[in-house]
Amino acid sequence: MSIDARNHDDAETFDGSGDDTGDDGENKSRVARWADDWIRNPEKAYAVMLVFLGGVLLTTSLFPLYWLFNVAMAPPGQPDIPLVPASIDLSVFVQVFRQVPFARFMFNSLFYAFTVTVFVLLVGSLAGYAFGRLEFRGKTPLLFSLLVLSFFPPATLFIPLFRAFNQQVPMLGLFTLPVEVYGTPAAVVTPLSAFTMPLAIFILTTFYGQIPDGLEDAARVEGTTRIGALFRVIMPLSAPGVATAGILTFITVYTEFFFSYLMTGNSAADWAPVVDGVLAFQTQYTVRYDLQAAASLIAIVPVAILVVIAQDKIISGLTQGALKE
Amino acid sequence: MSRVKLTDVTKQYDDVTAVDNMNLDLNDGEFICLVGPSGCGKSTTLETIAGLTKPTSGEILIGDREVTNLPPKDRGIAMVFQNIALFPHMDVYDNISFGLRLRSFPQDEMDERVEEAARIVRMEGMLDRMPSEMSGGQRQRVAIARAIVRDPEVFLMDEPLANLDAKLRVNMRTELQRLHKQLDTTIIYVTHNQAEAMTMSDRIAVLNKGELQQIAPPLTCYNQPANRFVAGFIGSPSMNFFDATVGDDTLDANGYSISFDATAIDGVASGDAVDVGIRPEDLYLTTNSAEARDPSATFAVETDVLEPMGDEIFVYLKPILDPDDGGEAADFEERQGLLMSVDPATDIGEDEDVEIVFDRAQIHLFDDRTGDAISHGVVADANVEAVDDGVQAD
Repeated sequence: MSIDARNHDDAETFDGSGDDTGDDGENKSRVARWADDWIRNPEKAYAVMLVFLGGVLLTTSLFPLYWLFNVAMAPPGQPDIPLVPASIDLSVFVQVFRQVPFARFMFNSLFYAFTVTVFVLLVGSLAGYAFGRLEFRGKTPLLFSLLVLSFFPPATLFIPLFRAFNQQVPMLGLFTLPVEVYGTPAAVVTPLSAFTMPLAIFILTTFYGQIPDGLEDAARVEGTTRIGALFRVIMPLSAPGVATAGILTFITVYTEFFFSYLMTGNSAADWAPVVDGVLAFQTQYTVRYDLQAAASLIAIVPVAILVVIAQDKIISGLTQGALKE
Repeated sequence: MSRVKLTDVTKQYDDVTAVDNMNLDLNDGEFICLVGPSGCGKSTTLETIAGLTKPTSGEILIGDREVTNLPPKDRGIAMVFQNIALFPHMDVYDNISFGLRLRSFPQDEMDERVEEAARIVRMEGMLDRMPSEMSGGQRQRVAIARAIVRDPEVFLMDEPLANLDAKLRVNMRTELQRLHKQLDTTIIYVTHNQAEAMTMSDRIAVLNKGELQQIAPPLTCYNQPANRFVAGFIGSPSMNFFDATVGDDTLDANGYSISFDATAIDGVASGDAVDVGIRPEDLYLTTNSAEARDPSATFAVETDVLEPMGDEIFVYLKPILDPDDGGEAADFEERQGLLMSVDPATDIGEDEDVEIVFDRAQIHLFDDRTGDAISHGVVADANVEAVDDGVQAD
């Protein structure tokens, strides 16, 4: 067999003898052929990279959930958690609701999330309308100060708010809150609305600013006020933006720990959030890690459902906002 | 159906005056076109009437009500927009009935009115379409249906045909005129297209730089323009202009000397500098000079470029350079030459020496400084006619 024939692509198929030089030649030419192929068809390389990256991302994001499931399946007191659960016993998910009023804990958190979202969308829409569609003096400084405010760590505001809500101190020497807010939903809803507002305003400003003036003019000529045009025409047409702002707010508040934990009591009846529900499986002497894990998994469900339902809107909302400003 | 009256309406944006002391008095049922070049304040004027913009000063009356400070919804107006502005998230029915729903009309009356409006604009059977599923012309018809369904006192139209293609525009123009005949409602129509204004309106209001130049029936604007701006804006192709000096019994301009009697015309005296305007169709070849009502003397010129339009030919003329007076002739050529319109059957070629006459009855004289019209026609009787019915802006 000549060298020419051995280096020929087809030669390897027939070459059963497999001497060393032949193998090297084969390997080189295979890598070279891949390289050639990928240079000619870059989409193949992208596909491989996509699968690889996707695999990494999926593993890092889904493995914790799988681990949580494993912990939930392990019987109480079991010292090590195997990679594959020894037995599948779904009754822990029911036990979660039997042992503590977990449904009420979840309701409390969902209530906070829902209330704050509605409030933020309403007020944020008015602000977004003003920033996105009106020209007025001091618009840029105002928008900028909003941005600066959103950089403040919320924790720094906890102590003053705690005093104001708890002890009814005179605020700025001007007024005292009429009732003790601490321990009521207002103590969570008010500060969280303030913290989630800037992002919502920015998203809504971008979207409302893109609606053509003609549509608003048409609505006003047809018989709405400016506010009416906002809610009847501008908001429906900005649905992706409103959905994005709403869902981001909802998730932020639902998963919020610091304020909702500290501003309320520890029992479900005292408006404690879902975190308190998870921690309720911990007593002075025992910790039911399996029930805590199961409770955590249950707590994820509402947000997961919301995201699945609204994912189209969120994606179009986020990318649209990103492209236009 | 209502009259509309604007008194001293001014709109200022920071240091720009968009509308300057506008006075308009529109009759009930009239079709008025506001025309002017871009940025002349015609859209702003319309917006102040609609209530979308508040005037800096002045007063607006619709019917007998003062509406200056009322929001748009309380003015009894409907508007059709340049960008059509149908609500994209609503179907045709919802778009048309939007204003009725806001006013809580009973369902059966609403159905009836929507169907009637859709019938008028020939959109029956398409009430469940979405705006994205329709052509430009259909959308514009829906927008018009949305405007007529509420039976408004005044229609405002802001370049409603500007975004349509040329053929559709001509169609819609006819439909709008038919609609006006049918509804007999006051229509205020903004356009920068003087052909639209000429063909559709009862009266044209010509605006420039925020000021009303002239408001008059189309033919009056054409034949007796109040000033140089109106003369140049109305009519396509535009009127020819050149500088001239008034002599004792002639009008002298760059080699043209047109005989006229300065004493018979008010406002000019020998030695005055004036702007002379003459439309392309009021220039004649000497061979056709019989068609002119009052032909002037003959002038030798050279043809430059021909633009055959089918029903007429536009001929660009340049003066023949006079070796004795080369400077002035060159200057004249630099200014613009003359444009003449001739019958398509005329035997004429490029770069030919021809002789032309001016129709003296159709020569317009404008004040050199203010641009105001002095006379339409430079013969005594023509001028009398012009003074009689020239409706001029104050």
